[in-house]
Amino acid sequence: MTPVAVELRNVALAFGATQVLRDITLSVAPGEFFALLGPSGSGKSTLLRLIAGFNRNQSGQVLIAGRDVSAIPPWRRDVGMVFQSYALWPHMTVAQNAAFGLEERKLPREEIRRRVAAVLELVELTGLEARRPGQLSGGQQQRVAIARTLAIEPQVLLLDEPLSNLDAKLRVQTRQELKKLQKRLNITTIFVTHDQEEAMTTCDRIAVMDQGVIQQVGTPMELFDHPVNRFVAQFVGSVNLFRGSFTRAAGTLRFSSPAIGEVALPAALEPPGAQGEIAFRPHAIRLTAGDPAAVEGEMRLTGTIEGEEFLGEFLRYEVQVAGARVVVDHAHARGEPSLPTGTPVTLSVAAEEIRFIAG
Amino acid sequence: MTRVTPGIVVIALAIAAFLLAFLVVPVVTVVYTAFSNAEGGFTLAHLRAFAEISLMRESFANSLYVAAMTVLFASLLAVPLAYLTVRFRFRGAVVIHTLGVLPLIMPAFVGAAAMQLLFGRSGSLNLILNDAFGFTVPLMEGLNGVIFVETLHYFPFVLLNLAASLANIDTSMEEAGQNLGSSGVRLFRKIVFPLALPGYIAGASLVFIKVFDDLGTPLVLNVTNMLAPQAYLRVTSIGLEDPIGYVICVILVLFSIAAMGGSWWFVQRRDFAIQTRGGVSAPRRRLTPWQAVLAYGWISAVMLLVLSPHLGILLLSLSKVWSFTVFPEQFTLAHFATVFEDSTRMIWNTFLYCGLAALLDVVLGTAIAYLVLRTQLPGRQLLDHMVTVALAMPGLVLGIGYLRTFRGVDLPLIGPLTASWLIFVLAYAVRRLPFALRSCMAALSQVHVSLEEAAENLGASRWHTVMRVVVPLMMGGILAGFVTSFVTAAGEISETILLTSRESLAPMSYGIYLYMQSIAGRGPGAALGVIAVVLIGLGTWFSHRIVASRSPHDVPGEKT
Amino acid sequence: MSPSRIAFAAALLVPALALADTVTVVTSFPKELTAAYKKAYEAKHPGDKLEILNKNTAAGIAYVREQPAGSRPEVFWASAPDAFEVLASAKLLQKVDGGNPAIPDKVGSYPINDPDGLYKGQALAGYGIMWNTRYMAANKLPLPKEWADLAKPVYFSHVAISSPSRSGTTHLTVETILQGEGWMNGWAQLLAISGNSAAITERSFGVPDGVSNGQFGVGLVIDFFGLAAKNSGMPVDFVYPSVTAIVPANIALVAGAKSPDGGKRFIQFALSEEGQLLLLQKEISRLPVMPTIYGKAPAGYPNPFSGSIQAKVNFDSDLSESRYYVVVSLFDQMVTFRHKELAQATNAIWDAEKRLGGKASPQLEEARKLVFTPVVDDRQIADKALLALFKADKKDETASRQKAKVEEEWAAKAKANYARAVELANSAK
Repeated sequence: MTPVAVELRNVALAFGATQVLRDITLSVAPGEFFALLGPSGSGKSTLLRLIAGFNRNQSGQVLIAGRDVSAIPPWRRDVGMVFQSYALWPHMTVAQNAAFGLEERKLPREEIRRRVAAVLELVELTGLEARRPGQLSGGQQQRVAIARTLAIEPQVLLLDEPLSNLDAKLRVQTRQELKKLQKRLNITTIFVTHDQEEAMTTCDRIAVMDQGVIQQVGTPMELFDHPVNRFVAQFVGSVNLFRGSFTRAAGTLRFSSPAIGEVALPAALEPPGAQGEIAFRPHAIRLTAGDPAAVEGEMRLTGTIEGEEFLGEFLRYEVQVAGARVVVDHAHARGEPSLPTGTPVTLSVAAEEIRFIAG
Repeated sequence: MTRVTPGIVVIALAIAAFLLAFLVVPVVTVVYTAFSNAEGGFTLAHLRAFAEISLMRESFANSLYVAAMTVLFASLLAVPLAYLTVRFRFRGAVVIHTLGVLPLIMPAFVGAAAMQLLFGRSGSLNLILNDAFGFTVPLMEGLNGVIFVETLHYFPFVLLNLAASLANIDTSMEEAGQNLGSSGVRLFRKIVFPLALPGYIAGASLVFIKVFDDLGTPLVLNVTNMLAPQAYLRVTSIGLEDPIGYVICVILVLFSIAAMGGSWWFVQRRDFAIQTRGGVSAPRRRLTPWQAVLAYGWISAVMLLVLSPHLGILLLSLSKVWSFTVFPEQFTLAHFATVFEDSTRMIWNTFLYCGLAALLDVVLGTAIAYLVLRTQLPGRQLLDHMVTVALAMPGLVLGIGYLRTFRGVDLPLIGPLTASWLIFVLAYAVRRLPFALRSCMAALSQVHVSLEEAAENLGASRWHTVMRVVVPLMMGGILAGFVTSFVTAAGEISETILLTSRESLAPMSYGIYLYMQSIAGRGPGAALGVIAVVLIGLGTWFSHRIVASRSPHDVPGEKT
Repeated sequence: MSPSRIAFAAALLVPALALADTVTVVTSFPKELTAAYKKAYEAKHPGDKLEILNKNTAAGIAYVREQPAGSRPEVFWASAPDAFEVLASAKLLQKVDGGNPAIPDKVGSYPINDPDGLYKGQALAGYGIMWNTRYMAANKLPLPKEWADLAKPVYFSHVAISSPSRSGTTHLTVETILQGEGWMNGWAQLLAISGNSAAITERSFGVPDGVSNGQFGVGLVIDFFGLAAKNSGMPVDFVYPSVTAIVPANIALVAGAKSPDGGKRFIQFALSEEGQLLLLQKEISRLPVMPTIYGKAPAGYPNPFSGSIQAKVNFDSDLSESRYYVVVSLFDQMVTFRHKELAQATNAIWDAEKRLGGKASPQLEEARKLVFTPVVDDRQIADKALLALFKADKKDETASRQKAKVEEEWAAKAKANYARAVELANSAK
């Protein structure tokens, strides 16, 4: 089936006095695997439910395949939603759950049986038709929920935190399966999550939301490498952020920050204005013990080790630089011991790894 | 788990003895009498005699009919209200909750007398209808009257159970159905109602049993061709020897057990542990204007109906003359004066009996809860089961059982047991014990074992641990159980009518019944009824406050 | 001063010297009466405590029977004389000496006290018709004067009556009508009146209660119910028909009571002038057995000794007692439990009458016969075997079953008769 586009134009929603969504404008391309990412309370689930039709008193428009569906009730929108709790009906078997949407569409019984069998095979649950949800594992229940939705061959697939109820290992496996399934079916999919790793590994594009506002839309790499504001920078991946003022003098660029003190920045950089923030990722920092020579085109900070966490692939150090803590992720080579607390170290960050955030 | 010590065994045996003596033996006596002949051997002759008497067959059919119709009408009242409260957002929700409680604070038989004046042949409603339209509605004629009064009194059981059940359904279940194309009545029928069914069945079966067993309402309404009144009338006027009365008791008990067991089995089979798993639950839907009109209209109508016995009894207590008019003519406070002059004894009796019974209940309840949840005593579940049996015992049966079993039993200081105040305390305590036990069990299961273990680790003996740690932590549940026992015992009439041998021992409920037997007494009877309702209402409110602060998922409607 | 008076006066002094007792009184009388007596008696005998056991007559008899000797209640106090006969023949009553010499031996030709002295008349009661004035006006009903009036079609669904099995006074009323009009005619009237009734109430009180609050238009009541209601301000009125009997309400000492002396004291009190005066209270409105009290009564108060109440019937309480169980059961089987069918049949007959406008019709006659004839005729009621069967001990299994069988026959026959009558009446031309 041909995939369709989903578009939101100036959508806003309030519950009583609380403004939950503010002026959302968004466009999802046909066949795209799109994520709504944000902390709890950001409005992402509300937005998803709105697309499904469960909150219809919004302002603005919701368009599916170019048609405004804002006034259409959920049972006629032809979008398939997989709920966070799966919402499987305990009084029905797996097969009955899966067949529900088809029965509502009044398809002939043979057709229903065929499609149910097909969709259960798709999610690899053949043989469990007569079981009841209470007899299935968490992973199996989730697959039934997906199968139930796919059975009606919806235009759009909406997934509300589908992985949050699974344990860690299953989560990784399932998100890979979901990605493969989506590509295979080529169905426009919108995926809500609070876990940035999930969003980044599976989706084509991500919209980061906070407090009902879309902060940034882009591919995972765009969001990671070029965050437009403090929130996105902190939410997608980890980051060191410091506020201060920039001054140019005699060919040098100085950054004065109450947190990390006076720092010389590579002169080639273009700060956003007199005031702003600098951001650099922990893994982009080169950490050396002692006080080696400065390298051209790098920012240089000195400090002492205050703490460490061993994460396997790298060592995460907390380095006290002037009045602030800087987080450094140092790749761990086998056998290399960690540096003890109190060791004086030098942190170097290449110019291209330094981002600026305005204001 | 605490070790089984001789002390625990003694307590368990004492409780078992109590239950045996005051619950099991009387019931067994009743059953035995129904099936034994003059020599003491087994016989089905009485059962046959019962089946041969057309009046008995008729009474049986009538009781079934009345109970079934009450369930039907109660459902008609309750189902829309339950759905409204749970699924929609509107200001009337508090009203519905009140509606759910109001009927339960007035014992059905008290309101029945007032209902005659409002809805009877020449009652207010029919006078108006006749004047305006020339026809009357036989709302209170014969069995209709019983059905009407019982429906208004018992529909909260269905309402509260169903509402709780509906509220427990994860809204995503409904939304999933909507997402897949279902809506409206179809959605309700295929998804919502099946999931709410266990709650509905629990409520409906409770209503069925209570109406089937009810003695007070048919008596006050002059309906004698039902099983419970027949048993009462036969035992009192023909005598305690009359075997047919006992056959009726056996039937009542069998049906009670069947209904309870059936409901339990059904709930177990369909027990879907439905829990919200943290999904964003939908805000309640708004009502469309058309829906709002219907909703508020329905609620107002039900509200009026539900308040009518309360209103009626209030009017009756204040009226001098109320005959063949829509409203009473002259008002007076004389009835209240009469009551306070003459009936302080009865009010005191109610407090005494119900207070002692409630106290006994929470003591037993706590002890049994502790034995079941905290010890490994073999056979402790048996105590729990014995108490559950009390739920299925109609008050009438227990009353007759007591009269028969303890006939001639003379206690030192107290005198003949069946003619003393003690029999009331025992009868009330035994029948309210299941609810008190449930409260205590719930309260105790919320006290983590580690709290007791910490006390014992610090040197407290078991007894001290219980007294200083466990009981204080359970206090909310104990209090709630106490108040519930008290309040339901205060309104109880079935056992009371049978056990009251002399006026000076009568509690308020009997007093009301007695007053209603004379023309000049209906006013004071209504006044006493008002006092009883206020008392019960206060107690219920108080109990709700304790329950609400303790646990949000209790279903108060199952207690009475 | 005659010796009896001295003795009586002395007896009144005894309480001051006697020890305290709990006096238990089994009675079917309403709360107003028992409360008034309790108050007055305890004021006069401060050491005694009066316990009231409120039971309807049948339940009261059963209760006394079931108590073992030595712990029985002291006093039995009720309206129905045959209840006392039942207790007397079961040897449950004890003779009381003394009594108030101002109380005559007879009222009219009816003895006030038991010839064997086992029970004494304490008040007098007649039976009559009570109606709600507003109801009658609203439904444009003529005011009744005789029982026979109530058998007329115009009163259909406006009458109320209780059942003899539930109410000693109703039983007395029924027996009075049966004795006054004869077995067959009496039943014809009773069946018609019952067919005209809207309800057969559970207790005799249900009738005056219903008439008082306007539920029913007319009721068959014992006189004090009607008079008390009227004097309490209810819109009702009361009349004694000519086919009535003035019968004493009795008080007796139970044999084997716990405190017989206390019982005797109470009985003396109830028979004394003070006790008799209490009967005149507005909410009680009973007829004292002491003739001089009527001088203190309000004007218009009915006086059975002055001949203002026309009592045609000489009540034969032996006859009443002998057939008590049969009459009671017969009424229940034909009327109480078949009321719906009886009313239906009666209605059909009245409809047919109206339709035919006075024309004779064999079907209608047949229908009338079916409905208004008792299933036990005047020959059968004299059958000693039948009477004995109904008096048999409940424990006797064969007798119980046989009795149940007979009752079933009656029930079936009555039901069939009523159904057939409906057919006939509807088809009458």
